[in-house]
Amino acid sequence: MKLAENISVACFAFFGGAMRYVLSQDFCAAGTLIANLCGCFLLSFITFFVIKRAKWPSWLTTGLGTGMIGALTTFSTFSFETVAFLQQGAVLIGVTYWLVNLCGGLLFAALGCALGGKL
Amino acid sequence: MIITGIGAAIGALVRYNLTAFIKGKLGTNFPIATLIINLTGAFLLGIVKDTEVALLVGTGILGGYTTFSTYNVELLTLIRNKAWSKACSYFVLSGIFGPVAAFIGWYLAGLC
Repeated sequence: MKLAENISVACFAFFGGAMRYVLSQDFCAAGTLIANLCGCFLLSFITFFVIKRAKWPSWLTTGLGTGMIGALTTFSTFSFETVAFLQQGAVLIGVTYWLVNLCGGLLFAALGCALGGKL
Repeated sequence: MIITGIGAAIGALVRYNLTAFIKGKLGTNFPIATLIINLTGAFLLGIVKDTEVALLVGTGILGGYTTFSTYNVELLTLIRNKAWSKACSYFVLSGIFGPVAAFIGWYLAGLC
């Protein structure tokens, strides 16, 4: 068990989670979507540029990527909100929310990777 | 905000160590660790969503425990490596079974 990485993950995750809370308070389900899409872009950029090429120290990239971005994005709330929309009978919104998260997440990850490869 | 942040720190710590543990046991061929974490997290969120611990446990711990960004970067990596069947399985297992798991958790909690 790596102590520095664990401390870093916990501290950075605090800020990631707090940021997601603020976004979800201000924009509800759209806040989760914004957090998820931004997070996909940032984690992909960190993975394909900062870790592979810029070679920042491991405790810092693990804290930023696994901790902050991992806690900023959320799979559980995305899953639950999709179900909640469908449950309320808002089928069109639910399916759109589901599709935009899944397709948008992959697209933003691809953008982060493309930018990371260019730098 | 503070409560969510503290919960997220706990959740992310569990995710970080559980991912390392599962990868050590089962290898890194398929992103099974993130899949297990995301599906169990979605299921548990369904259970706690309508309770008074929703903010700490739901938004905080389970929000920090599950991750949408790692799932997408892993999916992108499978696609870049042209591992099409693994990419399709990962997409379907996460995208379909995530909401299904959340629904089952929520439904079971409603029965009690």
